[in-house]
Amino acid sequence: MQRSFLSQNPSVLWFIALLALFTIIVTLMSEVTGVGLISTSFVKTLGKTLCLCLVAIAMDVVWGYCGILSLGHFAFFGIGGYAIGMWLMYARTEGIVLESLAGQAIPPTPAEISDAIGNQIFGVVGSSEFPAIWAFADNLYLQLLMVVLVPGLLALVFGWLAFRSRVTGVYLSILTQAMTLALALYLFQNDSGLRGNNGLSGLQNIPGFEDASQASISIVFFIASAVALAAGYIFFAWCMSGKMGSVVQGIRDNEARVRFLGYHVESYKLFVFTATAVVAAIAGALYYPQAGIINPGEIAPIASIYLAVWVAIGGRGRLYGAVIGAAFVSLVSSWFTGGGAPNVNLGFYTIQWTDWWLVLLGVSFVVVTLFFPKGIGGLFDLIVRKQS
Amino acid sequence: MLRLFSIAISLWLLFPTTSSAQTVQDILQTHAEEVLKPGRRSVGVVLDDLVDSGLPQALPFLEAWRDREIVQRSPDGLFFRAVEDGDEITLFDLDTGETSVGVDDDLTESRPNGGVRRAIGDALVQFQLSDPDIEKRQAAVDAIARSMDASQLAPLMASIEGEPDAGLKEVKSRLAGMLAATFGETPEARIDAISGMAGDLSVDVRAVLNTILASEAGVAADLPSDANIAQVLEVGKDLTAEEAYAQLVAADLAPALITKTDIRTALEANIDGGFAGGVPLANLNTDAGRAQAYDGLAQLELVPPRVTDAEQAAAIEAHTFFMAYDEPDAAITDAASEALAAIQTNVAVSQAVDLGLDALSLASIYFLAAIGLAITFGVMGVINMAHGEFIMMGAYTGFVVQQFVPDYTLSIIIALPLAFAITFGAGVTMERLVIRHLYHRPLETLLATFGISIALQQLAKNIFGTQARPLTSPEWLDGALVFNDVIGISYIRIAIFVMALIFLCLILFVLKRTRLGLEVRAVTQNPGMAASMGINPDRINMLTFGLGSGIAGIAGVAIGLYAKVTSEMGADYIVQSFMTVVVGGVGNVWGTLAGASLIGFLQKGIEWLNPSNTLAAQTYMILFIILFIQFRPKGIVALKGRAAAD
Amino acid sequence: MTFKTSALSLAAVLASTTTVAAECADPIKVGVLHSLSGTMAISETTLKDTMELLVETQNAAGGLLGCEIEAVVVDPASDWPLFAEKARELLTVNEVDVIFGSWTSVSRKSALPVLEELNGLMFYPVQYEGEESSKNVFYTGAAPNQQAIPATDYFLEELGVEKFALLGTDYVYPRTTNNILEAYLQENGIAEEDIFVNYTPFGHSDWATIVADVVALGADGKQVGVISTINGDANIGFYKELAAAGISADDIPVVAFSVGEEELSGLDTSDLVGHLAAWNYFQSAESDLNDEWVEAWKAKMGEERVTNDPMEAHYIGFNMWVNAVTEAGTTDVDAVREAMYGQEFPNLTGGTAVMLPNHHLAKPVLIGEITADGQFDIISQTTEVPGDAWTDFLPESAVLTSDWKDLGCGMYNTETETCVQLTSNY
Repeated sequence: MQRSFLSQNPSVLWFIALLALFTIIVTLMSEVTGVGLISTSFVKTLGKTLCLCLVAIAMDVVWGYCGILSLGHFAFFGIGGYAIGMWLMYARTEGIVLESLAGQAIPPTPAEISDAIGNQIFGVVGSSEFPAIWAFADNLYLQLLMVVLVPGLLALVFGWLAFRSRVTGVYLSILTQAMTLALALYLFQNDSGLRGNNGLSGLQNIPGFEDASQASISIVFFIASAVALAAGYIFFAWCMSGKMGSVVQGIRDNEARVRFLGYHVESYKLFVFTATAVVAAIAGALYYPQAGIINPGEIAPIASIYLAVWVAIGGRGRLYGAVIGAAFVSLVSSWFTGGGAPNVNLGFYTIQWTDWWLVLLGVSFVVVTLFFPKGIGGLFDLIVRKQS
Repeated sequence: MLRLFSIAISLWLLFPTTSSAQTVQDILQTHAEEVLKPGRRSVGVVLDDLVDSGLPQALPFLEAWRDREIVQRSPDGLFFRAVEDGDEITLFDLDTGETSVGVDDDLTESRPNGGVRRAIGDALVQFQLSDPDIEKRQAAVDAIARSMDASQLAPLMASIEGEPDAGLKEVKSRLAGMLAATFGETPEARIDAISGMAGDLSVDVRAVLNTILASEAGVAADLPSDANIAQVLEVGKDLTAEEAYAQLVAADLAPALITKTDIRTALEANIDGGFAGGVPLANLNTDAGRAQAYDGLAQLELVPPRVTDAEQAAAIEAHTFFMAYDEPDAAITDAASEALAAIQTNVAVSQAVDLGLDALSLASIYFLAAIGLAITFGVMGVINMAHGEFIMMGAYTGFVVQQFVPDYTLSIIIALPLAFAITFGAGVTMERLVIRHLYHRPLETLLATFGISIALQQLAKNIFGTQARPLTSPEWLDGALVFNDVIGISYIRIAIFVMALIFLCLILFVLKRTRLGLEVRAVTQNPGMAASMGINPDRINMLTFGLGSGIAGIAGVAIGLYAKVTSEMGADYIVQSFMTVVVGGVGNVWGTLAGASLIGFLQKGIEWLNPSNTLAAQTYMILFIILFIQFRPKGIVALKGRAAAD
Repeated sequence: MTFKTSALSLAAVLASTTTVAAECADPIKVGVLHSLSGTMAISETTLKDTMELLVETQNAAGGLLGCEIEAVVVDPASDWPLFAEKARELLTVNEVDVIFGSWTSVSRKSALPVLEELNGLMFYPVQYEGEESSKNVFYTGAAPNQQAIPATDYFLEELGVEKFALLGTDYVYPRTTNNILEAYLQENGIAEEDIFVNYTPFGHSDWATIVADVVALGADGKQVGVISTINGDANIGFYKELAAAGISADDIPVVAFSVGEEELSGLDTSDLVGHLAAWNYFQSAESDLNDEWVEAWKAKMGEERVTNDPMEAHYIGFNMWVNAVTEAGTTDVDAVREAMYGQEFPNLTGGTAVMLPNHHLAKPVLIGEITADGQFDIISQTTEVPGDAWTDFLPESAVLTSDWKDLGCGMYNTETETCVQLTSNY
């Protein structure tokens, strides 16, 4: 089965090989090995980009293959980040608190420890009580389970309600956008128990590895992101190449016909929606420890729309298209906004790309939608066609 | 100070016969520091001295001081009234009125703050109540209303008789009533005044009544007979057992509770070779262990014993908790609480009406923001994520017009059609260039228009900057329509409401009663058939889209007037607008109206339930909408039959 | 521009010592970490320009340690994780000696772990909620006791306010400030039910109900005052609604902590006249230094530009850093930090700012009334108030103190006499 799947999809092998090569090169050139050609901050940027590629693949499956334009997958990504961030913050703070309480004359009670941790974490946002949602934050394994369970359940319930009511097309897009907005607004509240606008910070310090340098931590996360991307790629490629893939793409092209053929369309959609949400959350859980901070601004509806933009520019309906789109747009974007692009002097006006990049992105997006619906990935088709 | 004021009044009345060698300048020199840097609590001395002096020049000085015209000249430390005219400063002697020329560098301004200005206003009251200038009389009345004082009653009463202005006379007698209710000499006079206020729900009347009814919590073994008891509190119902016990402790009627911190401090202070209270230190990591150790210490009488639950209950049982009025006369408090009760009902009704008005206003804003979308999305089925940016373009048009046309009324009259024209043009251009090619790919329309949206937003930032720009409403829209002290709504919101109504009628008229509307409906329902009937669907689509966009532009001007103009204002409304249309039911203008009303009233309702967190209200409202759509995907006003098909 | 002068001074320094010359192979780099795009660009771009002006001025005056100073400007684009990324880039790739940057608390919290990991040095110029002390950050903006508490005192003392409405945008600064103020007010005899708290989202525009609620507070005969920590654009709608409801500063005074000259510029302030703001600096301050500064700023940026409080904070911070480096003879972070304690530099408002061992400044507190031309009329100015990292009005913080000089700890529990943690609580 595995062999036949790979032989049917040579692009998967190509992709894995390229990714492995890329990972090895970056690792060798990083500061860990002493070469230092790639700085730690750039390793982090690359690692984060890999995570974005992973969530872009998920987006491609749900949109490019199944035809559901979800404007909520970045919310799942964020939930994953929050879930892992809670453990990171809790464990780090616990270490600090235990150390400082150890100096006291009499040993602390569990309530005192928990109060002190709560005060450390929530003191900066003006409260000190542990909200109920932090119940599992002290346990890494339970919290890792949360990374998968919370977005999975949310997607399952939301999807079940929506698909059951036959909410489709643009309505579903708007509905998922509303969900994202509601989640972001909820997290923006200080009362939400997740530190409101401040979010969770200091996530790059991994509890238990206080002595490890950021250079090595960044490489570990970079490799982990690469492995997750590879696994996600294989998983979705496998899913979408078999019979299930055909049904799912059938749903995209004509939902009614597939239903008349006797397939339970809702179940397929629900599976795709939930599975991609879970993968998005895993990507988020890998992304935010590299970013160092997560806050509600990350989840704002616009982030999910950008996700769709990456996939569309990269090319829908092909997994490598999503990867190309995410990597290309996010790296180019940081090049432009980081002041890397030279200003263009028109004589009467100087174009500063920090100001004009978004205009360029917006316009190029319209152009891609209008003239290159297959995106950058479509170029490969052209090459392949020329060769044959 | 109050007594001094009454003396001052008599002095004032007698002033022509009072002879004094003092001048205003002399008095000011005595308090030079206080005049230069006055504070609310300490300025009284200066004011008293000035008023006591009975000098006629004190009045103009006080007025000048309040208006911040007093300066000190540094070489000699003398105070003057300074009038600045361009670069020239003229100094007026405070006593003689002689003028001299001032040098800017020598002069230090005295800057009375708000509190001091109020104190000066209070001092001026006595002089101004019967001033021939109505504005000064008005100011005096305002000053009394802001800070009521027993000494003001007599002069106010005296001034009512001779008040020529009927309106002001009424205000004065109303104010006198309020003063009498608090400061009246006999209980009868006060009760009369109180009952005279029944039914008046203005804030200041309630303030007077509430002040009379101010009460304090008390606790005693038996209910004191000499106090004017407002209410006997029941433990468990009116206050919790913890609160009751805390009150006992505060009144020294019971021993304080030993808190966990107390226990820890006591244990830390009594560590004895690895043990505290006979318990090994290692066992002190639980509350139970610590309690045991503490009890051990208590037995040795090193610390006070813990108060048991039974002791607490017994202490609470043995005492009565009550609220007692500060006002000793029960007849007065009875009258006041009766009057207040009648007012409270009125206030509650008025508050409900006010909330309803706010909700209506919010609904009209949502409606106005969404109505353009009701056409492009609702009728044509085109998703336009740049709709919010059309709103923004309209608002910036208003801003730009105001830069060229300084008359606010005229500029709004120009801006409205201009905003329509500009966004109509933008809409038509966008339809021709982009949307036309994507009619069969609605999801891609969404993304393409989103691209336009971010480009437009950034363009606006590049052109106008990220700072919010002002769009000032004409003067006749300033202020609010006030029904009573509780119900009021600003004119600008009424204008938006009226505008929303006009657009509702206009669009209904266009869609239902004109040739264009007929063609639009025909094209939306079946473009092929419509085309074969001689209608040009391209042209109709273009015009419809332009119309929807143009209305968004006008909405932008309105929204900019009531809030702000920023490049991100469109993004604030876009999700809400889409939800308004979807909740209401796509394809129907009435549906949009219903959707906007539902969202507006719902949001205000949730805000009312939790007034301290507006963000929570928005969150719950969106959650409600999501659920609502899940269970009623076609919206409130669902189309039936063939038109409803996707 | 100053190649000649720096070359000259370089020569001069070479002549005197050789150690300094070794350090002068490269210019001294100053990182500027302010958002130049995104939502915060409006406020932060001004600070970038301020830094450039300060660096130019210093270079014209002969540079630092005989070297030229070079400002390395990066754009974190109002994207909070980017603050961490750019801070790391500045410290490791550009190898700057000091960073001046950040505006929002969350951006500071984002950069903190990186600064502490790499032992960087940052000057943070904005008023903030306190409850933090990092070894690697100097806080040149106001702590709550340098802005919120004096303003509340002014309300209590001078305006006789008995009932408070604490209105804020829902994020950490208003939340913490209001918590501190609630505790402070209750300590000053204001009952809990006389304090009304409300939080609104960023950019909130529908203020009618909230204004009505505030007016209704007056129903029990007490003077009502509003303490506003409302941020940014939302202020416009708020003041508009206040004006529409016919409420003047005499009826219900509003004191704002986030409204300064920059926010008022380009706004019609006729409705706002008499309302208050509390800062450590106003452009209208009368002193020769301030006149010079305003003139230099206008000469660089244009006549219509205004100066504001965070700019003064950078002005003081940068000059103190320059003096500390000169004193230490090196830009090494640890040496400079030691030299920073006790640094004095004249305020633009008169008096002298002193850097305390808790990394905060002692600065005067000013209260101004908004005037019709978008400026402030200063009606109250205190003597220098030492900034307090941990507030005295919250029980958990009252026991904490920060002293990096003698105790070497930013979060020292005075009750247990232990250092709670050496890193900051991000």
